[in-house]
Amino acid sequence: MIRVENISKSHLGRPVLRDISFVVEDGSNLGLIGPGGSGKTVLLKIICGLIRPDSGKIFINDVDVMSLKETELAELRKGLGMLFQNYALFDDMTVSENIAFPLRQAGTASEEEIQGLVKGLLQEIGLPTAAEKYPNELSGGMKKRVSFARAVIHQPPILFYDDPTAGLDPVTSSKIFRLLTQMKAEHGTTSITVSHDIDGIKEICENFVMLERGELIFYGSREEIEATDIKFVRQFWDASSDDELG
Amino acid sequence: MINPLKKIGAQFLDWADTVGGLVVMMGRVFANAAPWKLDGPQVWRSLYRIGVNSFPIVVVTALLTGAIMVIQAGMFIQKYGAYGLLGWGAGYSILREVGPILIGLMFSGRVGANTTAELGTMKITDQVDALRALAIDPVRYLVVPRVISMVFMLLVLVIIGDFAALFGGAITGQLLLGVDWKLFVWSIIEYIKLEDFTHGLWKALVFGYSIGIISCYFGMRTSGGAMGVGRAVNASVVGSAIAIFVFDYFITYAMH
Repeated sequence: MIRVENISKSHLGRPVLRDISFVVEDGSNLGLIGPGGSGKTVLLKIICGLIRPDSGKIFINDVDVMSLKETELAELRKGLGMLFQNYALFDDMTVSENIAFPLRQAGTASEEEIQGLVKGLLQEIGLPTAAEKYPNELSGGMKKRVSFARAVIHQPPILFYDDPTAGLDPVTSSKIFRLLTQMKAEHGTTSITVSHDIDGIKEICENFVMLERGELIFYGSREEIEATDIKFVRQFWDASSDDELG
Repeated sequence: MINPLKKIGAQFLDWADTVGGLVVMMGRVFANAAPWKLDGPQVWRSLYRIGVNSFPIVVVTALLTGAIMVIQAGMFIQKYGAYGLLGWGAGYSILREVGPILIGLMFSGRVGANTTAELGTMKITDQVDALRALAIDPVRYLVVPRVISMVFMLLVLVIIGDFAALFGGAITGQLLLGVDWKLFVWSIIEYIKLEDFTHGLWKALVFGYSIGIISCYFGMRTSGGAMGVGRAVNASVVGSAIAIFVFDYFITYAMH
């Protein structure tokens, strides 16, 4: 379970997040939505300990993330996976080296097992022939899928997806969402997904948090968000363009 | 209007932040430099990229430097007929000063700038955060192999460069001044002491370490997109050059 308690963060004197609190239950997928610049990526990075908040606490499986030293945090991160918004693939490694990297570093699997897992994942993400390519030879959609494979190869119980379908065509987006659903069904992962693709995220998340200018303006289930009368949330959810957002 | 005191204060805080950051980086590199903590493939990759790729440029620069020094000294050598001192004169200045400092500056411009740009790009494209998210310490994985490789490779390159510069000097002395290369070599063997050679090697070690720490530090604290990478590279090259001259002064003073 992930518990976010009263998180606030400022950058250069400007508040980025204000008093954010919510809970993600074990085995569920929370959708983190909101307009660009509302603080979603910063919040995601705070939750996995990549950025320190100014105040507030994060509990992952009842462990207070803020109280951990860097070495303890590293230990905790072994159980997390993250798909970054702009892929964050290592430029000097091939696709297969990128995907295998978490397992090779952990040293918990034999080279034979790693090769088998990489091959299987490349099949699953639809890139069986890209193993020896470098990231700069791939399209945005391919990079996203490789980044997904790297995030999940060590089968972490908790996953964070930062805009997994940004800039992708509808077919690739649907493939990515299918992989996310598959991951949850097969391994029961707990996850937080940041996305602007409302149609896609609707299908894979049970609960939603919506941020606007660093403030939490909605937190609830799919049924609740569909029934909400908060105008801004409704507009965003229905992708209505009657009024300007934000 | 900008308050001058405010500007000076901000500049001082920025300077203190950089010095503090460099000291912390040195401490973290030291703490992670134990052989069992090193990532073998990363170290080998860094050694290859830093050393092998720098070899041609260092040899060419050193050959020409040796030749230029002999040309400069040639006028006086001919005037006083001190042909037997040509090897000593060129060797003394090359081994103690010109070799390490020129190769150090060349190394900082090529390898240091490249390292800052590479780490800076990794930083702004979230590759450094990706390492942390995978429970890997970026200092241990990215910085330590590079610093170790720079220290070791600058030492090796200075040794190679010293010999290349002496070779260039001997050839130029033979061709332009008519000083027999055997006399040139005899002059080196006769007058140059081992400590003249090791003096330059101490400098190479310190310069390599400074360039490594400075270039990695500025790379790892890059922010602000492509312009930020440019600023980081600039700061790294300027910082390394200053460090080379400051340490050169202190080492020369201490070893005299």
